Formats: sequence, structure tokens, C-alpha cells
Amino acid sequence: MQRRLVLKNLGLITGGILILPSCNFSEEMATIALNKLQITKNKEVLLTDIIDTMLPEDTILGGKSVGVHNFVWIIMDDCAKKEDQESFVNGLDLFQLKIKKTHNNSFSKLSPNEKESSISTILENKNEDKDLIDFLTTTKNIAIWGYKNSEYYMTEIMPYSLVPGTFSNCETINNTLKINTNA
Amino acid sequence: MPKFNIESKEERTFDAIVIGSGMSGGWAAKEFAENGLKTLILERGRDVKHNVDYPTTNLQPWELPHRGAITQDLRVENPIASKCYNFTEDSHQFLVKDKEQPYIQNKPFDWIRGYQTGGKSLLWARQTQRMSDFDFEGPLRDGFAVDWPIRYKDIAPWYSYVEKFIGISGNYDGIPELPDGEFLPSMGLNCTEEHFSNVVANKYNDARHVISGRCAHITESREIFNKQGRAQCQNRDLCRRGCPFGGYFSSNSSTIPWALRTGNATLKNNSVVHSVIYDDKKEKATGVLVIDAETKETTEYFAPIIFVNASAFNSNLILLNSKSERFPNGLGNDNGLMGKYIAFHNYRAKISAEYEGNLDKFTTGRRPTGSYIPRFRNLHKQETDFLRGYAAGFGASRKINEDTSGIGKDLMDGMVNPTFGNWRVGSHMMGETIPKKESSVRLDLENLDQFGIPQLKISLDYDENDEKMIKDYFNEFTEMFEAAGFTNIKTHDTHQAPGLDIHEMGGIRMGSDPKTSLLNKWNQLHSCKNVYVTDGACMTSTSTQNPSLTYMALTARACNHAIKELKKS
Repeated sequence: MQRRLVLKNLGLITGGILILPSCNFSEEMATIALNKLQITKNKEVLLTDIIDTMLPEDTILGGKSVGVHNFVWIIMDDCAKKEDQESFVNGLDLFQLKIKKTHNNSFSKLSPNEKESSISTILENKNEDKDLIDFLTTTKNIAIWGYKNSEYYMTEIMPYSLVPGTFSNCETINNTLKINTNA
Repeated sequence: MPKFNIESKEERTFDAIVIGSGMSGGWAAKEFAENGLKTLILERGRDVKHNVDYPTTNLQPWELPHRGAITQDLRVENPIASKCYNFTEDSHQFLVKDKEQPYIQNKPFDWIRGYQTGGKSLLWARQTQRMSDFDFEGPLRDGFAVDWPIRYKDIAPWYSYVEKFIGISGNYDGIPELPDGEFLPSMGLNCTEEHFSNVVANKYNDARHVISGRCAHITESREIFNKQGRAQCQNRDLCRRGCPFGGYFSSNSSTIPWALRTGNATLKNNSVVHSVIYDDKKEKATGVLVIDAETKETTEYFAPIIFVNASAFNSNLILLNSKSERFPNGLGNDNGLMGKYIAFHNYRAKISAEYEGNLDKFTTGRRPTGSYIPRFRNLHKQETDFLRGYAAGFGASRKINEDTSGIGKDLMDGMVNPTFGNWRVGSHMMGETIPKKESSVRLDLENLDQFGIPQLKISLDYDENDEKMIKDYFNEFTEMFEAAGFTNIKTHDTHQAPGLDIHEMGGIRMGSDPKTSLLNKWNQLHSCKNVYVTDGACMTSTSTQNPSLTYMALTARACNHAIKELKKS
């Protein structure tokens, strides 16, 4: 097991994308159907966990419940440049390694607080590997975009009207009312 | 060679042929069909029926798999088309893909095209201002291009005629340089735009105006719109998808179905016009040669009246490619000026700022237009070291801040509890450019497209006049913004190539003298009077106004003339 991990890590650093597909037969593939990216179940679960940490469920639904993790994969798969896809997947692997190294545990085993602080710590450390930082920043940005454009957010939180029928050029702000960004 | 056609020549003979079904072609089709002429509308693209063929129009934002973003494959395949602001997940189906029609860029030019029934009328920005004599007399006064063969009084009734049918929202502003039209209620200014308008009016003694954008949206019910099956604009601001209400004007929702309903018009899609056929003996054009986009078979169609409305550059392309013994350099091109004196609108300059006033106010909804500043530069006399001037769009919106700096609960809270920020204000320049002989489109006889038609070689660029104008716009707008108390003023020159304005014009310009122009005051080719060009190709100068309304008015006027001539003969 340890030997396999070391080999895998070596592969990642020297261009994991080229090597990983050959390992696919031994790893369970992701459930999400993608066109270009080849993602293992392990990576899919990890990204879902990261989304759940970035956009946690509380009194309202979180990112995981509204499927933001799938949206991140779809955008990276269909809309990102090849080099950005490679950097993204590499960043995800680096994230996994980093957590192992700093917490001596896998991300999924950490407490919610540990999960959040581990991501924040990396995001705040400007000396971190660029792929790692980019991975988390990209994930966060797409997650925000996806969450704010989810059916849930656009119907329950900030209701959007496809056919508003009207608009107003000048309203006086009522501070007791919540702002609807989609109104 | 034309194939032996199943249809007899009689079946392929019409009273009028209209090449193109877009903004101006739709009008020609409507006018002819309504007046009882058997009309053939040739459209090189596929059919797009109102409502039936707007696949994205009723999708909720979350139903778009990429929430509006374009896939990387599509972007890579379309380096030109994807630069267009309308090339989005919900509307790229209405734009021509790059490989469909290659062209040669002698100088960088982003040629944005829409090949389908309705052409680019599905995608236009819907801003509609009349030109005035400050524009029609411009070339004569300032000594460029040639004198327009018409004046405002010649076209004014046709502006009215078109406006009443398509529906224009706007205010009666009483500005001589931007004549009032037949208006429906305006969309109005918001409070910060109003503030800017007042400051500008005071500072420049009413010589500069910030007005509600005049746009082709129905804002009040009228019987004429009901007859077209069009309803009031519902402020969806999703016009690029095609409007299920017909709230804004497109050929698809208005002129084309109107023409077809008369029973006099035939719409033939996938019909790429190769050339206009000229009969050397009869000394007139007799028809057009069409290539079927799918089968590549050629067919000839005949009519005594031919309207060329293929879009500015394609109209040039078709006529340059229409060679005969009499016209070896293209139909009507005796003076060799066809394809020359092209111009466009300079959209490179933008300015943005913030406003810390009106902080107790905000707007709601999605007003599908902005406000507009008509040209004030060099209006009554030459006052700068550059010719002509610019109009500008202006808009203000209340910024809403979301704190997304953190992650976890902080991020969720930030997204769910936004706060009002300052107002964001912005403007973009729409500069008149000077048509010059070297600004041209030509045929590249070496490089043919998939139909064997020569590709177009486009040579168009900014010049010193444009650069000076950009500087002036930045200076003047900075001054106006400062006067209004706007802060954090930022100017931005996009340095975009010409083309993305989608206002290319000229090449077959109107004029009184056949030696220096191609079309007469009725938009007829001087030397082949049964061929009319009434799209952007006919423009002698560009003015600063959004041009579609003028194309439509010129078309209706020219049709009226053609019908009268037909009745005489």
C-alpha cells in the first residue's frame, strides 16, 4: 500500500495526468459522467467534501445538497483549457497530499473545523504550490457561481423571475427588508 | 452550370427577389408582399420560426448546463465569433461559426454574422435613433466621403412609417440632432442617470443631453402589434434567445411572418446567392444565381426587381461577384469604387466610475435598455482637431456587495446577506469613423469558400481621427463624471479590432454622382436601376446613431419607389 502511494505521488509530481489513466483499471471511477477528465471515485468524493466544507449546510441547504460539486466538475470538464484541467487535477492531488502531511490523516477523517481551517490555511499561504492554490481558488469561485445559479438559490434564497413583466428605476431602500440580488 | 430544374422557369419567376431576411430584407419582403408582389425571399441560413425555433427562450438560468458559459471546444473552434458578447450558451446558435465562411483579414476584423431567417435581427442591441441633417449634411460640410443624396425630410416619413410598425420606446426629447420619432412610453432613467442628466444639462447649458435610450421594444399595447402577434415587452432582458412575446422587434416576430401571411411571399432557406444575373442585351438584371447550401446545386430565379439585403459586407461580396460583359468588375461597379469607403463605429472606449449619492435608492428588475448621449462634438461647427464625434451609452446600477472572502459559514452568510454598495456608472463610446478609399472589402479570387464563391478580403483599421476621438471622449466624460461627483473614474481602451461593433457600413454608397457613388437617392444602382441595395452597404457615412432603424426606413422608402416604378412600366 505504502509503495503504491509513493509511486503514485511520484507520478503526480512528474506529470500525473500521463500516468494516472494507466492506473484506472485498479481504481473505482467517479459516478459523474465527464467527457474529458478521467476522475476516480476518490477524487470525486474529496471534491464533494471540499464543497461541503466551503459551502456547509446549516439553516439553508449547502453546496453539496444543491449539487455544486457536480457543477464544478462539469465546468472544469467542458469549459476549462487543457492546461487548466491538468493544473486543477494536480492541485486536487496536491491537496490530498498536503492534508496527509499536515494532519497525518485523510481529509474525510478531519472534523468540520479542521477541514475548514486546513483549506483557509492553504488559501492564506501565498508560498503554497500554485496548482494547489489555484485548485482551491477555482473550486471556490465555481462553487459560488454554481450555488448562486442553482435552482434552490434562485427560487428559495434570491427568487429570480424569468418573466418579471416590470422593473423599477427608483425604489427607496427599506432596511428591514432583505436584499434580493435577483429582483 | 445551373441544373436542369424541376421547377419551370415560370415557377422560378417572381415580381421581386429579396436577398436576405434580416433587418432590412424583412422590410423589403413585407413591403412587396403587402403590395401584392409575388416575392421571393432568399435566406442563406436555416429557417428560424418565431417561438418554434428559440430553443433556449424559456430556460431558467439553472437549466443551462454551464449557466451561460461557452464550452472550451466551441471557443477554440470559433476564435472570431466567440468574441461577440452574444456568443453565449443560450444564443450562440444564432451566430455564424468561424469555419462556415472563412475570410481574409488583411487587417484584423472580427466579422460577426447571423445566417438564419431573421439574420442578426434576433441578436441586435435594439437601440434605434433617427439620423438628422447634422448627419446627412456631415460629409458635405466636413469634406469627406461624398454628399448624401438625401436629407432628413426625405427619410423622416419613412422613419415614422417603420417606427409605428415595429414599436419604439422613447421620450420626446426635442433634440434637433436626434429627431423625435413615433414613440411608445420610454423605459426612463433611474435616479442616478437622472442626476447625471441634470448635471450635464446644467454644466453645458443644455447643449449635451442624457436621455432614455430609444429602443425597439413594445411598451404599450397597439392594434398594429396585436396584428403581428406581438405583445408588450416583459422585461426579461433575454432578447438574445429570441423573445416569445415578440416584445422587441425582430424580422422573425414581425416582418417575415407578416410577409408570408399575405400569401404573396415565398421564403427559401439554405439559399446562398452566388451572384445577380445581368442580361447584357436587356441591359438590366434579370435574376439571381443561387447555390443550395445543402446540396450545392445551383438554381436561377428571376424577377424584374432585385433587392440586395445580404448584410453590409455580403451585399458587397454578391455584387462584386456578379460579373458580366457589361460589368466585368462587379454589377454596377463602373467607377471601381464598389467595396471601398467602408466604415464602422468605434466602440473601443469605455469609462466607469462610482457614485456615492442616492444611497437610499436602488432599482429592481431588468430594464432592457440604458440611457443615451447624442453626439455633441463638432455638432454646429468644427471645434476639435478631429472630424465628427461620438454618441455614448450610459448606465447606472446599484452595486450589491457580497462578502465572499471567507469559506464555510462566513461564505454562506456573505452570499445570503448582501449589502448595498455605491452606484456603479459606466459609459461606452460610439464614434463615427470616416469612410476612406483604402478601407475596403475585395474578392480573393485565389481563396474560395465551400460554395466556390471568392472569400472576402477585409482591410479596415482605425486611424488618427479615431485615436484623437477616443482621447477626447475620455477627457470629456471624465469632466462630465467629475462634475456629477462620480469617483474612482477609470478609462479603458479595449483596443478591439473593428467588427465587434457589428456596425460595418458602406462599400456600395449612395450619392448623386455616378462617378463617385454606386447608388442613387432611391438606393438603385446608378447603372442598373432594377437592383436596389438598402442594407448597411448603402451608407455614405456612418453618423453616430445605431444604424438598423435607418436601414429599415431606407428599405421601406426604396420599396415604395420600386413599386411605383413597376406600376409605371
